[in-house]
Amino acid sequence: MAASSRATVVLKAVKNITVRFCPFESNVRSTREFLAMVGSEKARSTNMNCEVIAMVKHDKSEPVVDVTYADGERLVMKGAKMSTSEMFSAFQSRCIAKDPQSQAKAK
Amino acid sequence: MAATLCVKLLPKQGWLPLTQSVRHGSKAVTRHRKPVHFFRQKLLAVTQYIPPARVAPPGAYPPPAKQVQEDNTLTVLMKRNLKKLFQENKIIAVVQNNASNSEDMMSLKYRLHKHGITVKFFPNQVMRSFLKDNIYCNMVPLFIGPTVLFVCKEPKVKEMLMTLRSSPQMTLLGACIDNTLLSAEGVVAYSKLPSMTVVQGQLVSGLTMLTSRTAHMLQHHPAHLSALLQQYIKQQSPDNTAEGAPKAEEAT
Repeated sequence: MAASSRATVVLKAVKNITVRFCPFESNVRSTREFLAMVGSEKARSTNMNCEVIAMVKHDKSEPVVDVTYADGERLVMKGAKMSTSEMFSAFQSRCIAKDPQSQAKAK
Repeated sequence: MAATLCVKLLPKQGWLPLTQSVRHGSKAVTRHRKPVHFFRQKLLAVTQYIPPARVAPPGAYPPPAKQVQEDNTLTVLMKRNLKKLFQENKIIAVVQNNASNSEDMMSLKYRLHKHGITVKFFPNQVMRSFLKDNIYCNMVPLFIGPTVLFVCKEPKVKEMLMTLRSSPQMTLLGACIDNTLLSAEGVVAYSKLPSMTVVQGQLVSGLTMLTSRTAHMLQHHPAHLSALLQQYIKQQSPDNTAEGAPKAEEAT
């Protein structure tokens, strides 16, 4: 499991997260771990309006994480060849960039 | 060692001075091992010779003996439990839970217990080592990350799905119902199937449809049947010769 600078991620700037994967494929490990990290209680408590939707399919499709931010921007991550830490760091860096106000207040 | 040059005006550019004076002598060739200068050390490290790896021919060495790890007693106990589970229960569903609280877990367990479904936790390693020798080896890729097992002696899929829908964190990955491995969509389709008697009735009606039609036609008024047969012969007669037609008409 990835150990990032902060154990959880701040989801304030995120509208919803959709995770699509096919559990019988062999390349879904990182996507599933990403889902477990993002769907944890701590992460969801940072923003109760953010929906984490997991879609389980069976069509040998690639695992995809689709994040829609509050300002309309979309981040699509294809998790077939990515590791969990890569996905998490990419996601977290964008979240922090989008949400600088609370960061500035905290620091 | 600092080498200071005599300050002398060089007559032209590019000329080396005639004298070079050094502070104090440090010789290159010493009796002890002189520590290698850092720049030289770096250069030697970068330009080190790496010989090509010689591969032994395939049959030269015997293959390394695989280390077979013996299971602890706890693992053996868990495997025995698993075997009993798989034999007794009809449904074994695999669900991923993204960190629900203990309260959510408790309420979910309570709701499922009302329908007779038990919630089981097993370590993934034990599950994988148990399943790969079994007939259920295709379930192995399901057990990654935080997984929970739902087991039940009766195939109560609808109730299970409804309970799962109420808790958003649980994601159904797949299920083994009556020794058949089903995906999430398969489970939903299974829940929508009508009961056994209804299906059997539909099958029987489909098979007997043709024969019942024939029986119905035969039971009609015989004049209707003879009129149908005459019409059939008339349709056949343009194809045949004129001799064939009167013979057929005499027969009816």
